[in-house]
Amino acid sequence: MTDLLATSPDTWRERDLDPPVIPPELLPPGKVSWRERNAAFWQRHDVRRQRAEDVYAASRNPERGWPVSGNRAVLAFFRELLVSRRGMFTALVVLNALAAATGLLVPRLLGELVNTTVDGGGGLPLDTLALVIIGVVLAQAALTFVAQRTSTYFGQDLLSTAREYIVRTILRLPLGAVEGASTGDLVTRVTRDVGTMSRSVQYGLPMAIISLLTVVLSVGAMLLNSVVLAVPALLTFATSAWAVRGYLRRAPKAYITEGSTYSRINTTLTETVEGARTVEALGLSGVRVRAGNDDIEVSAQAERYTMSLRNILFVALNFAFGTPRVVTLLVGAYAYHRGWVDLGQITAAVLYVEALSDPLDRLISEVDRLQVGAASTSRLLGIAEVKPDRSPGDRLPDGVELVAEDLRFAYRPGHDVLHGVDLRLGVGERLAIVGPSGSGKSTLGRLLSGINRPRTGSATIGGVELVDLPLEVLRTEVALVTQEHHVFIGSVRENIVLAREDSDDDAVRQALSAVGSLLWVERLPQGLDTIIGSGRYALTPAQAQQVALARLIIADPHTLVLDEATSLIDPRTARTLEGSMNNLLAGRTVVAIAHRLHTAHDADRIAVVIEGRIVELGSHDELVELDGEYAALWRAWTS
Amino acid sequence: MQDFPPRIATFFTGTDDAPTSDPDTRSPAAFLRWMLRQQTRVIVLSSLACLLWLMPMTFGPYIFGRAVDEGILQGSTPDLLMWSGVMLAVVLVGGTFGVVFHTLIVRSWLISLYGTTQMVTRKIAQMGHVLPRRSPTGEVLSVSSSDSDEFGALTEILARTAAQLVSYLTVAAIVLSMSWQLGVLVLVAAPVLLGAALPLLRPLHRRQQVERSRNSELTSMATDIVAGLRILRGIGGEDTFGRNYALQSQRARLAGVSSGVWQAAVEGIGVLFAGIFMVSLVWLGTRQVNSGELSVGELVSFLGYGLFMVGPIRTSFELAQKTTRALVSARKAIAIFEQRPPWREPSDPQPLDGSAEIHDELSGFTARPGQLTVVVSAVPEKSAALADRLGRYLPPDTDPVGEEDGDGLKGRAARRARADRERRRARIAARDEEVATRQWGVRLGGVDLSAARLDDVRRQVLVSDTGSGLFAGTLQDAIDPHGRLTREEAEAALRVANAEDVYDALPEGWQGQLDERGRGLSGGQRQRVVLARALAADAPILVLVEPTSAVDAHTEARIAERVTTLRHGRTTVVCTVSPLWLHHADRVVLLEDGQVVADGEHATLLAHDPVYRGVVVRSLDDVDEVLLR
Repeated sequence: MTDLLATSPDTWRERDLDPPVIPPELLPPGKVSWRERNAAFWQRHDVRRQRAEDVYAASRNPERGWPVSGNRAVLAFFRELLVSRRGMFTALVVLNALAAATGLLVPRLLGELVNTTVDGGGGLPLDTLALVIIGVVLAQAALTFVAQRTSTYFGQDLLSTAREYIVRTILRLPLGAVEGASTGDLVTRVTRDVGTMSRSVQYGLPMAIISLLTVVLSVGAMLLNSVVLAVPALLTFATSAWAVRGYLRRAPKAYITEGSTYSRINTTLTETVEGARTVEALGLSGVRVRAGNDDIEVSAQAERYTMSLRNILFVALNFAFGTPRVVTLLVGAYAYHRGWVDLGQITAAVLYVEALSDPLDRLISEVDRLQVGAASTSRLLGIAEVKPDRSPGDRLPDGVELVAEDLRFAYRPGHDVLHGVDLRLGVGERLAIVGPSGSGKSTLGRLLSGINRPRTGSATIGGVELVDLPLEVLRTEVALVTQEHHVFIGSVRENIVLAREDSDDDAVRQALSAVGSLLWVERLPQGLDTIIGSGRYALTPAQAQQVALARLIIADPHTLVLDEATSLIDPRTARTLEGSMNNLLAGRTVVAIAHRLHTAHDADRIAVVIEGRIVELGSHDELVELDGEYAALWRAWTS
Repeated sequence: MQDFPPRIATFFTGTDDAPTSDPDTRSPAAFLRWMLRQQTRVIVLSSLACLLWLMPMTFGPYIFGRAVDEGILQGSTPDLLMWSGVMLAVVLVGGTFGVVFHTLIVRSWLISLYGTTQMVTRKIAQMGHVLPRRSPTGEVLSVSSSDSDEFGALTEILARTAAQLVSYLTVAAIVLSMSWQLGVLVLVAAPVLLGAALPLLRPLHRRQQVERSRNSELTSMATDIVAGLRILRGIGGEDTFGRNYALQSQRARLAGVSSGVWQAAVEGIGVLFAGIFMVSLVWLGTRQVNSGELSVGELVSFLGYGLFMVGPIRTSFELAQKTTRALVSARKAIAIFEQRPPWREPSDPQPLDGSAEIHDELSGFTARPGQLTVVVSAVPEKSAALADRLGRYLPPDTDPVGEEDGDGLKGRAARRARADRERRRARIAARDEEVATRQWGVRLGGVDLSAARLDDVRRQVLVSDTGSGLFAGTLQDAIDPHGRLTREEAEAALRVANAEDVYDALPEGWQGQLDERGRGLSGGQRQRVVLARALAADAPILVLVEPTSAVDAHTEARIAERVTTLRHGRTTVVCTVSPLWLHHADRVVLLEDGQVVADGEHATLLAHDPVYRGVVVRSLDDVDEVLLR
């Protein structure tokens, strides 16, 4: 046997050679001249940008986990959501435009007021004008309310539709993919990414639309007020365009990086809390505290990068939006002398200049929130890109005999883990599969229960390929029982009727009494309707396992494949569950992948799987007689 | 001046850093005050920077008015240029300090945020396994992940409010200097309008709370669906749970709409009040211009100030909201930070000798030095409880008490519920302390464990229980978390635990990454890596609880044999009923009802003790057997 640790010397690292968490070039220099400090700052800024780009690239092409979809899919997704809400979207735009427009009328009217005061007459009388302005303000307030209300309805509707779509997609993921991949990445997506997407859909999208409308309308209003006064100011605004563009190009990557540093902080802390006892036992407290500090150091660097990006943007914006005050004043004075503009126009122009920076600021920040949201959405939509692994046919099984012929299977192309397995199960037979770990026992179990499609050969039930059966049918034919006994947040009934969701209460009660749980369920505060699961009424491990067994009774498959079922039944609760298990197994065909060799000897037949092949098959006595692998193992066992 | 990340070294003393002060946990307000005091300088400086940043808004309208009066209306070019120059200077100073303000505010925000996270980490480090007995995991985590952000937000809003207040007073002074009637209006009207709008904030706040709690419920449902996805896809139930999620999603939507509508109302009222304020200011102004008390330029200034006043009003709205939220968060933080470890260091700590005999009075169990003792019990909890006692761990027998506030209670009911939770937590703490301070009842070499320092106990006795988990990181970090082993030692640990296949499965070998909690590994692989780590720690006394329950028999036999060889000459206790371990035991101890009822060699006991035979043979036809009978 080859030494599995042969490469150990090459991959072992000496800890003292570990690079520091923060590369030295990211530390600010000590006391140096201002010029050097400035140069060092820009150098750090570049290093941080590079780090952000690496993190972003890695998040777009994850090495492990579920796929990530492209930008086009994200755009199409949102386009569809918008198109299907055309009416509401139009109302949103119109109402917000009106609210912004009335808001823009106010400075104009105030300018008018100034004119009237200066000229002493001409236009409307002062009091009337004041009343008109009050009317406009009232209208503006009312429109603001209605427009915001519409935005809320729109945003919440969009959001709930999007998240429900994602969950539906997850619930349709192919069986093979679900069994094969880790759910960790999926958890991150339904928590963090749905969160980010929510924020951008709920606030980002409406706010961006509103700010954009306000900016466009304000520019229009400035031009209407006075072209002479507006053009120089607008030109000054335009000087910030390059800075804004640069910012919008870099910021999303920076924010995504920042977000990932926070989820890293949370992951480390979660591990520390959940493993508090392990940490204490092994004296790892100091190590965990340092790990937490390191995460924070890394996060601080990401924060410094986004902070610098914003500062650079602010310098440009402050200049572009501050100086127009001066420009308007100077141009205004000149134009006033020339008689091109009156005082009211100058006043209005100044008020507009003052008022414009706010929506523009908001627009910029919403645009980058939207970009971050888009990155999350692309991860969420990536889930939808997993190809279905089966297309159910319409043939239904004729009989209950499970037959496997020439099964071969590979997780990685070219690396078969099963090398042609043939097996024919008798109805009601008990078959034990034994063998060392890594021999392909579990894979065989998955093929026999229709989770994966064999690379070659076939696994059929009643003459129909398992993977060609519709899932609802498959579940009532063969069930794979693994160590998982998750209790869902939901009522006891909902937790049990999984396989046949239309089961009536009698069926549920029967299943519960078969596994010996009826008594405690009926003692629950609301009986079958009691909400159980994480954070609700907590079940004991034994009760959770009984629920898992009751599910199988409802599903009522004629064949059960038990993989590591010892783990399903915690040794601590084995006694309690013995009867439940017997009731479940009575009258069914059972394939048990056994951990414990000695327990196999009561099975009708034993299959010894070694390196992807069934090397021995027969009853305990036959195999002992045969004096092969099984017999050798058995002897070692019982001696 | 402090910078982020801050240097926090409170609670936990295991690192070399000089300790920093503990937070004040007497009340939420006291906690917030403590937190702010930590960074007074940053907050004061950022208020100053904010004040300078606001200069264009504070003085801009005044300068503009003067420019209109002296420069434009009187046509004096030098005056115009002078005021324009002043304006430019003000704008430039404002712009520069805008950047400074932003830098400082990010700093104070992150000092609070990172500082809170660091304190939570150090609290866990200090409390160890005692904290989860008292507080739910989710609660501990949310103090770091969301409450910390509220503290950051508070520092920001405080700095901004202070600056806004000063500039509001400045504006009032400027307006007063031009017209006392208008000055009084500014000084009085703004607070009055603010007071009128405040009652709207309370219902808004309540609705936001409902929205938040529904959203977090929704998130936990999504997490739940994903966690049980294999079952949902394997057995069924997609429709039921998909529908439940959709229902909750709609409930969350309604809550969101309801709070959004209130938010819209608040915004609308804000617009209305600001508008009315501005109109009355300007209308009064025009009257005074007409009566000659005010110049046109001054009127123009008022217009600018009318616009400016919206800022302080909004800011004080925010202050009210954020302070409330910060107080709620502070209460949650206190619930974690105020916990004290139940242990008291003995005044005269006795050194422990790990090569001596360890004896538990309660069960009468003794592990002889240098031997492999296997503890057999028909009820595995009993042997686990013995292991806990040997290692001086409090038993996991409590329901942690949360600080949930989303249950929709208001006023007195909420206060009562809170007091009740506080009492329950205090009860657990009192009980812990009672148990932890008296004689422990386990003697190592004649010394009761309570007479020794706790870290000495941890060094001498390593208990690896069934809950031992892995942490994210490389395989090397998992086996050698302290970085103390040589490569050969680490290899040996891996081989003894028969976990070479884990190494082999990772293309990067020792540097291969394990996911959080070792999620990518199978149950058996995880268990073997945990075992390897425990073996590598090389403790004088090693207590293993069900170390191979998820491993196939073949491998278990190998592990039992290798562990026996490796631990030869050092005290090892294994809690299991597997005959594979029993074969190798120097001595077997049988527990019944938590009491030692028999001990001796496996073969002897098997031959002569019917109770022992009952337990062990029973385990021989383990659960699998039940399946196949």
